[in-house]
Amino acid sequence: MRPLIRVSLSAQRRAVIGWGIGLAAVALTYAAIYPSIKQSAADLDTYMQNLPDALRSIIGTDYTSPAGYLRAELFALLGPVLLLVYGIGAGGKAIAGEEEARSLDLLLTTPIPRGRVVVDKAITLALTVLALSVLVFVVVIALGPPFGLDVAIANVAAMCLMFFLLGLAFAWFALAVGCATGRRAWASAVAGGVAVVTYVLNAIAPTISGLSWAQTLSPFRWYLEPDPLVTGIHTENVLVLAAVALVCLVVAVWTFRRRDLAA
Amino acid sequence: MADDVIVAQHLTKSYGATRGVIDLSFSVHAGEVFGFLGPNGAGKSTTIRTMLDLIRPTEGRIEVFGVEPRAHPTDVHARIGYVPGEFGFYERMHVREYLEAFASFRDGAGRDRIEPLADLLRLDLDRPIHELSHGNKQKAGLVQAFMHDPDLLVLDEPTQGLDPLVQQTFYGLVDEVRGRGGTVFLSSHILPEVERTCDRVGIIRDGRLLSVDDIGDLKAKALRTIVFHFAEPIDVASFQNLPSVVAATGHGDTVTLTVQGELDEIVKAAARHTVVNVETKEPSLEEIFLRAYQDGAPT
Repeated sequence: MRPLIRVSLSAQRRAVIGWGIGLAAVALTYAAIYPSIKQSAADLDTYMQNLPDALRSIIGTDYTSPAGYLRAELFALLGPVLLLVYGIGAGGKAIAGEEEARSLDLLLTTPIPRGRVVVDKAITLALTVLALSVLVFVVVIALGPPFGLDVAIANVAAMCLMFFLLGLAFAWFALAVGCATGRRAWASAVAGGVAVVTYVLNAIAPTISGLSWAQTLSPFRWYLEPDPLVTGIHTENVLVLAAVALVCLVVAVWTFRRRDLAA
Repeated sequence: MADDVIVAQHLTKSYGATRGVIDLSFSVHAGEVFGFLGPNGAGKSTTIRTMLDLIRPTEGRIEVFGVEPRAHPTDVHARIGYVPGEFGFYERMHVREYLEAFASFRDGAGRDRIEPLADLLRLDLDRPIHELSHGNKQKAGLVQAFMHDPDLLVLDEPTQGLDPLVQQTFYGLVDEVRGRGGTVFLSSHILPEVERTCDRVGIIRDGRLLSVDDIGDLKAKALRTIVFHFAEPIDVASFQNLPSVVAATGHGDTVTLTVQGELDEIVKAAARHTVVNVETKEPSLEEIFLRAYQDGAPT
């Protein structure tokens, strides 16, 4: 493993463990509640039918089934929120945070080229987001079934792959903003802002006639539609999110190689 | 020149109207310790950061080991050790972990010198960095810069926060580098430090290079103040015409002289009277700057 990846991973150790515990606790808690949800399925389904369209378009239409429940409680909102808060924070910290903390000067005067510093930081981000995604996958397939949350492993895997790619795209987006500006606050604000706006866009665009095309502008559309928990993997969705992430990485390297470091 | 390690030609770096450096031209020869003397904010760090490709020149050029850092950053970085003027660490790491990380970024170069250098500087390797005092962090920065025996050391105010004993150790390290033919570029705002360590010195102020001198010439050019207390009132005119006296003022039995160069004739002139006391003041950095200013164009 390249030295900078190893060192950066070791620096992320605590953060990843902390966020991992949080994500696992959320997944476990919702799994444990599922049996009682199942009991009041009929009432809840009626309730769900009366929710606003925008809410239903994001949490799905089949709340009480195992797949529908996992989507609504874990993968449609809380999971991505946790993963993106981590990913965007770490993405902004990777370059801009080090620049503000003034530790970047010394790193960049070692023989590691600037572009490779960014790539190594990006790989570190990818590995940590991957670790969190794998953890969610393991928790769901290991602890879901005892509570009646039976979803095909292949579909959970597909969902967690999309979960990983979504987190990766936003982490690298924050990395790119940090590389371009040198400001951690900018990285968090821009990436966080885009996440919120595109999330809302994904929810409301399909409910407004004439605007449904706009849903395709949202990464959340490619992440969640069609529902991987029900329909499994969709190659084009994988490719779209991977391409978004890759474009962010290219922008990160390109902008960072061109500019002066903050004094 | 082939054996110049750093060559700046009309180097200019602009940041808006005030900061930055303007039209710097100088060269640093292989094997010398070059002092870069100037007050805070003069443009020392800006100059250094262009050498290391942390920032890029607005105009002019700078070469290190015969190449432009912008075009060949890794060639330059492989051969330098750098102590930044202000720097951050990975605070959660232990000192040893931090230094070994930097050795690994240099393909392991210098790993075997971490222990001896830490011993020499009395740096505890087994403490977390966030617990260290400013001086101890500075020591960690020095180990990081010296451990891989680089051909060029670029040191930006390296003795900040070091206690006097450790400063002496640091001067020893610089002498060692010079001894093995290495080159040192040392920025400082402390004149005695530059006098102690450097062969030549460039003086920078407000982004402009005022002069580059051998350290001996700089001392000779420096203005000193000498105050004679005589037993009786003296006519100051007898000192005013001496060649090395720049200015003379008298006040009763006291004569205050501003002197540049040889003292011999002054002492002989004073000896014609009964001298009660003599005070001399070494020139402050400000006085040297003033002098360099008066000299005008950079040499």
